[in-house]
This record gives sequence, C-alpha cells and structure tokens, in this order.
Amino acid sequence: MSIVCRDLHFAYNGNPILTDVNLAVEEGEFCALLGRNGSGKTTLIYCLAGLLGLRQGTVAIDGMQLAGATRGDIATRVSLVPQEHADMFPFRVLDVVVMGRTATFRFAQRPGPEDYQAAYQVLSQLEAQNLAERNFNRISGGERRIALLARALLQAEGTLLLDEPTNHLDFNNQYRLLEKIKTLCREKGTSVVASLHDPNLAARFADRVVMLNGGRVLASGAVDQVMTASMVSRLYETTIRRIETDDGEVVFVPCSTDIECHGPAADEMETGRWT
Amino acid sequence: MHDTAITQMMPGAAKANTRLKTGLALGLILVLVLSLWIGWVPIAPTELGGIVRVWLGMEAGQDIAGKALVFGMVRIPRALITVLVGMGLSAAGAVYQGLFRNPLVSPDILGVSAGATFGAALGLLMAGSSWLTIQSLAFFFGLTAVGMALVIARVVAVRPMLVLVLAGLVVLSIFNASITLLKYLSDPYNELPAIVFWMMGSMSRAQWGDLRVAMPIIGGSLILIHVARYKLNVLSLGDLQASSLGLNPGIYRLLFIFLSSVMVSVSVAICGQVLWVGLVMPHIARTLVGPNHEEMLPVAVLSGGIFLLLADTAARALTMAELPISVVTAFIGAPLFAYLLYRNRGSGWS
Repeated sequence: MSIVCRDLHFAYNGNPILTDVNLAVEEGEFCALLGRNGSGKTTLIYCLAGLLGLRQGTVAIDGMQLAGATRGDIATRVSLVPQEHADMFPFRVLDVVVMGRTATFRFAQRPGPEDYQAAYQVLSQLEAQNLAERNFNRISGGERRIALLARALLQAEGTLLLDEPTNHLDFNNQYRLLEKIKTLCREKGTSVVASLHDPNLAARFADRVVMLNGGRVLASGAVDQVMTASMVSRLYETTIRRIETDDGEVVFVPCSTDIECHGPAADEMETGRWT
Repeated sequence: MHDTAITQMMPGAAKANTRLKTGLALGLILVLVLSLWIGWVPIAPTELGGIVRVWLGMEAGQDIAGKALVFGMVRIPRALITVLVGMGLSAAGAVYQGLFRNPLVSPDILGVSAGATFGAALGLLMAGSSWLTIQSLAFFFGLTAVGMALVIARVVAVRPMLVLVLAGLVVLSIFNASITLLKYLSDPYNELPAIVFWMMGSMSRAQWGDLRVAMPIIGGSLILIHVARYKLNVLSLGDLQASSLGLNPGIYRLLFIFLSSVMVSVSVAICGQVLWVGLVMPHIARTLVGPNHEEMLPVAVLSGGIFLLLADTAARALTMAELPISVVTAFIGAPLFAYLLYRNRGSGWS
C-alpha cells in the first residue's frame, strides 16, 4: 500500500475542515477526489503531502508515518503539483524542474550536471524538452502544468499528489495530461491522488474515487461501484443522469428542467446552494 | 540530447556570465584604485613610493607625511568600507526581494534601517556617549526592529509573508515616530543637526576601527549567503512549494533575514542610511543574468560594491563641501530604476 490515511481530522481555527477521512491508495492506482467547492479536497491533498498538522489521525506514505518525519524525508517520497502558481521570478523551465532535487541537497549544495541531465530527461519523457530554456512565466497554462509535473516526477515518482491538475487547461490538454499521468501509473507504478472537478474525467481515468462532502467521505471505492447516477447526484446536490455510450463509456450530464430525468427527485436536495 | 549539451544549459555554464563576473571584479579593483587618487588633497600616483617610505619610517617630509596620513588613514579604510557596505546592502536587497517574491522590496521593509537610525539618534542624545556606544545602539535597535516584526508575524501566524510586510510597516512607523520624538526633544543647535546629518548618510566617519568590525560581520554574512544562495530560488516560490519540495521555509527564511539584517544594521551604524543600493543593484543583476540566484547574487554583490564606491567618490569629489551619499545614490539610483522598469517590461512578471 502506498498511501494509507486513517481517521484523519483537520480543523482550521476550530472549524472542522476534514472529519474522519479514511483512504488507501495502492501502488499504480489513480485515485480521484471529487466534491463541490469547499468540500475539503485541497486540504486533504495538503494533509497527504504532510504540509498541514493533523488534529487527529495518521498518514503513511510507503509505510513511513508523516508525523515526526522531516521535510526532506517526506519530499523524497511524495511530490505535489500545486493548484495555483503564485507570482514567480521569470525562471527558465529547466531551472524550475531541477528544483525537484531540492530535498537531496545539503546546506551549501547547488544542482550539478547530473541534476540538470535528470531534469532534462524527465522533460523529454513528457515530450516537453523544447520548453527547457523557455521563460516559465511566458509559456501557456498547459505547458506550465507539464513543467510542474516534470518537477514533481523528478522529486518523487512513487507517489504523486495533484491539486486540480486540469484547471485552466483546454479540452485537449485536459485529456492529454491525464493520459500521461495514467501512463505513469501503469508503467512506473506511480500512485496518484488527484482532485478533479469533472466527474467524466474521473470516470474515464480513475481506478478509485473518493467523494467528499463537507469534509466527510460520502462514498469511496472502485469507479464502477461508486459512480452511480444517484451517488453523483447526491455529491453535487443536483440531479444528474448517467449515460452509457455504445462503446461502454460513461458520461454524466446534469438534468435541466425540460429534460425528463430518472434520478433522485430534485426537490429532495438543496439544488440552489452555492458553495 | 547529448549530456554535454545539457550541461551547457546550466546557469553557470554561460560564458557571457563568466565574462561579466570577471569584468565586474576587475572593474571593482579599478574603481578602488582610482578612488584612492581622487579627492581634495592632490596625491599623484608617482608619490606612492614616498608615502610607503613614510609608513615604513624611512622618510619624514612635512608635505609627504600629511599626504601619507590622508592616504593611509582616510582614503584606504573609507574605500574598503564603502565597498563592503555596498556589497552588503546589495546582497540584503537581493535576499529580501527573493524572500518576498517581489522585485520592488528594499532591505528596509522590516524596519531595520529605521531601528538602527533610532538607536544612533538615541546614542547621539545621551551625553558623553562614545562613538562605539552610538554604533552599538544602532546595531542593537536595527536587529530589535526586525525581531519585533518577526514576533508580530509569528503571533498572527497566517499568510507569513504578507503579515511580515504589514508587521514591518508597523515597526517602521513606531521607530520613525520615535525618531521624530527624539528630534523634537533634542537641543536644536547641537544635537538636532547631528541626528539629521547621521540620517543623511556619509562615509566620512569610516576608520580602520570600523573596518575591523565590518569586515568579519559583513564579510561573514556575505559568505554564508553566497554558499546557501540556491535556497533563495526555492524560497522565492513561496512557503507551500518550498515545503513540498523538502525545504523548511521557516528556518531558512529566518537565517536569511538574520544575516541581511545584521549587514544592514552594521552599515547604518557605520555610515547612516544609504538608500537605493539595496533596491536597484539586485534589479540590475536580474536584468543582466536573469533571476536565478546562483548567478544573480554574485553579480548583485559586485555591482553593489562598484556602485557605492563610485557614488562615494562622486560625493566627496564633486563639490567643495561633501555631499550626503544618499543624495548621490538617489540621484543615480532612482532614474536608473525607472529605466530598468522600462527595460524589463516584457519579462512576464504578473
């Protein structure tokens, strides 16, 4: 087992954000976190990355308990592709990627030739070697995502945490990026936890789904067991149809008032609530 | 791609950067030598032999002895301290700009200069305080100001960098108000002018004794910052990314802030406030070699030394009465900064 998280509770200024979350992701498994805005997806990812102090519960990566481990020990086992990139100096992409080696450096150490070669190699594996000398602030959103993914893979390719990796990506790039990540799971046994906003992407790429609602796990399990029309409707608090195409692909479509739906009745849920 | 081709992409591999750094180092030596011969006591390069003989006790002419005194006790220590202070302020500026991910930040953002100036003003007001007392007070209150800003940020404990800027503003205002109060309470004929002149900044008080203090403190801090400079790249990504990459941002930030504050406090203690060096020089370095601190920091340090030495030489050579050095650095630095903003407008800041 690669990621095991037990009875996790997290509170911010006394407000509970995550309550009693249990999660287990095996080697080579792609786990999608689904939930509405503010349901605790990002917080859970930060807890798994050891960036937040837990109030209760444990997180273990490859058998190592995060509580009490040093930043360096954690960073060599689990890497994170964060959601927003705050203002950055106009570094070259290769300089950004090579920072994935930070955890292995001593006080006065700087990246050497072999670090730059490894960084370039990871970029090549992602078919992004042409970005190496470009200015990180001047490339497109999709290219930035790839560069940050390369940095994460250079850092630790065993366990990868992705916070809404498809945000700001065009339709094509969303699928290409997740395709790449899926390939990593298959070929390198990378365990992935990714928060996604689109249940269709989860249905297509994930092996396992964890549904979060108000910081609690609404449901978790294999995709075909958990992602039923009624569960997805309950998760997003609106009536959603599940359509199976002739090729066996699953698509979720929200119902509008003029289409007859066979799901949970809309009036059972607070459909008009913004979160 | 072949391995050697990738090695060529390393920041240190660019031949232009190596040439630039060598050029700056040679330029610094050249400016250092030139500044020793410029000033109101005319000393010709040919008189160097005579000066050295006076130092060795082999010659005792009235005229040459005076020149030897000016050369050995005034110009040499002054030039060396000016270079050290310029390097220190520039490095401090580069560190703060990196930590705050903001190219418009100066080393004064956490109130270190205001604190040190307050300490100096306090020393100037206390009857019979020696030069050493004034400098010690300046150093102590400079660090106190930064410490206060750090404690406030620590107590608030959310969004550390933003709160640190605001805490710095609080500390800065308190010390500036205290300085105004001290000025108000001071004797307007003797003490007030002394405080005002201190705040204008001048290298004219620099002596060998100051160099013995400044050399190990500023020099040691510069060396530590230089060897650990790669960490500034990682810290400039912000706490979240630095942590997830395996760096402890709290500890490293504290270390860098401490080293920078020590350098700025010592500088203010020796020569008062010198503006613009810490803001403009890192900016120039970034324009020349890019934002990677591996290359940018040495360039900023060297150009900071050159800039302040040129400014000080101009300050004492341009007019009969010596100009305050901050006047010169501001007159050169501010237009230069405007030009750099214009030049860097397309580098993708936002």
